[in-house]
Amino acid sequence: MKDIIFAMAVRNVRINILRSILAAIGITIGIISIASMGMLGTNMTASVTDSLSSMADKLTVNPYSGKGGGGGGGPPGMGSESDNLTKKQFKDIEKIVGKYGFVYGVHNIRAKVKKGSDEWNTQVYGLEVSAMRTILDNLTAGGYPSSDNSVLIGTRFASDNDLELGSRFSVGGNGVKVSGIIESRGMTMDLNTDSAIVMTKDKYESLFGAKDEFGQANIVLNDINDAETVTNAIESQMNRREENVRVQDSSRMVSMISSSVTTITSFASLIASISLLVAAVSIFNIMMMSVTERIREIGVLRSIGTQKKEILRMFVYEATLIGIIGAILGMVFSLVMGYFFILIMVGSVKYFFTYESLIHLPYAMAVGLVICIFSGLYPAWRGAQMDPIEALRAE
Amino acid sequence: MTDEVVHLENISKIYPLVSGDVLALDNISLSIKTGEFVAIIGPSGSGKSTLLNQLGCLDVPTSGDLKIDGRSITQMSDYELTHLRLISIGFIFQKFNLLPLLSAYENVEYPYTLKYRKRDSSGRVSKLLAMVGINEELAKHKPSELSGGQQQRVAIARSLVNNPKILLCDEPTGNLDSKTGHLVMNMLKKLNSRGKTLIIVTHDPGIAALADRIITIRDGQIVSDVGNVS
Ligand SMILES: Nc1ncnc2c1ncn2[C@@H]1O[C@H](COP(=O)(O)OP(=O)(O)O)[C@@H](O)[C@H]1O
Ligand SMILES: [Mg+2]
Repeated sequence: MKDIIFAMAVRNVRINILRSILAAIGITIGIISIASMGMLGTNMTASVTDSLSSMADKLTVNPYSGKGGGGGGGPPGMGSESDNLTKKQFKDIEKIVGKYGFVYGVHNIRAKVKKGSDEWNTQVYGLEVSAMRTILDNLTAGGYPSSDNSVLIGTRFASDNDLELGSRFSVGGNGVKVSGIIESRGMTMDLNTDSAIVMTKDKYESLFGAKDEFGQANIVLNDINDAETVTNAIESQMNRREENVRVQDSSRMVSMISSSVTTITSFASLIASISLLVAAVSIFNIMMMSVTERIREIGVLRSIGTQKKEILRMFVYEATLIGIIGAILGMVFSLVMGYFFILIMVGSVKYFFTYESLIHLPYAMAVGLVICIFSGLYPAWRGAQMDPIEALRAE
Repeated sequence: MTDEVVHLENISKIYPLVSGDVLALDNISLSIKTGEFVAIIGPSGSGKSTLLNQLGCLDVPTSGDLKIDGRSITQMSDYELTHLRLISIGFIFQKFNLLPLLSAYENVEYPYTLKYRKRDSSGRVSKLLAMVGINEELAKHKPSELSGGQQQRVAIARSLVNNPKILLCDEPTGNLDSKTGHLVMNMLKKLNSRGKTLIIVTHDPGIAALADRIITIRDGQIVSDVGNVS
């Protein structure tokens, strides 16, 4: 305690410890809010990016029919010829993609399905068995179709319709048997198999026609960074004269989703910082109170030779000490509460202890502390400006 | 001229109030020599405290010139006035005015620390406390744990720590019983006899009788200024 001015600030905080802590709690709450929001944002972005990155290396190519149809991935209408890629177009795509990755054609249609007396429409895909092995490498049960009469079905389709391995039903008036069930693939752009039937290419063509003319070509890239190169190559070669195909780049969607998560959480942080404003008011209040209570003391200090700026310093120290108490409490509670908050909201704390996530703690602490000091400035200034004679007269 | 520690020339102090200006000091001229013991007496509201505040550089006069230790203070900045209070003037108040957050020892040490930017390692603080009769044990106490007489003795030690030219006392015994008051006055008288300039505002004739010189004020004017030979 070399600096007597600082020592007096410490003692005043200690003497009014309850009041100081109550004021500090305002700052603590503010810090918890912005730190948690910041950490939530980081953790959410990280985990969303994580779950989306599995689809980030995929491109889909659809024929452009001029009818709008936008949105790509969805199923085209009942297969009129113009809705499919021509044999030549598919060959061109294969050639362009070449060493960059792997291309497979996808037939798709909504077709009538019948089981017993129930009849409904569902999504049907037609794929080469080799493509099934590569792309749908996650069967929960069974195996890939060994004959054209065997099909794969999605888990949701299976459970919704009480189907299991070996179950029989009819598609487009033709009986088929379930040879395998595909595990849920969640949100994807290439194939939405969860509620769909996947049959062999030959079977599909025998039922719905469109020989070698796929509704969509899917590309799996070896390197996600080639997405733009490949997209540009396809578009410049195939859409030279008129728009023939549309290329969908799923990495673009991933970055779009990530950026909207960031936007939402930044907005939440902004709202959280309102609590800091409330804290600022309470610090201001406490410091005004501290100055008012000590007017006489200020008079004594001034009369025996304490400079204005030393009085100012004493009260700024006091506000800073309250801020430090608040910041430390804030850090501890942000860690604990933030951890559980993120566990509940995001479902995973895999990214909690990363630099990007924890950096929000010192950041929020600094903001809280600065706000605390700023709120204390005016009351401190008021104290320093007090006329010594007037102050001495105070009771 | 050199031994004139306080010199006032045509000092006036006007407090501007909405109800009309208050002329608290009216054209006062006065000199006090080093080592003098001056008592200022007068009825309540006559301007004694106002005069003492000007002498103590807590306030500057509205007009006139005031020199402390040969330096005119009327044009000084707040910073300079504050510094002058720290190094040249010792205050002793009626209400003791010790700092409640500090121990008796720290109260005495406080002006020393402000002046020298360090804690006292020379033993000066302890020596002063011993001189006013505050032992080491008592020195650890906060002012609220001391009696009025003890507090005033600590205040005297505090006023002396930076070895000021002038001691200014506003009713120093006003809040003490007569026996303790006597003790405090003896202490101050002894300091004066060792050469310290002592200026005391009082309405107690017994205290005034101890002084070398008695100045009577009425309505902001000096009505008498006499040597005390008794
Ligand atoms: N800050 C002030 N504002 C207005 N009037 C004041 C102020 N201080 C003192 N006065 C007036 O100046 C006069 C002298 O006051 P003061 O010096 O305190 O008298 P004393 O100490 O002799 O009782 C009084 O009339 C008092 O009301
Ligand atoms: Mg008075």
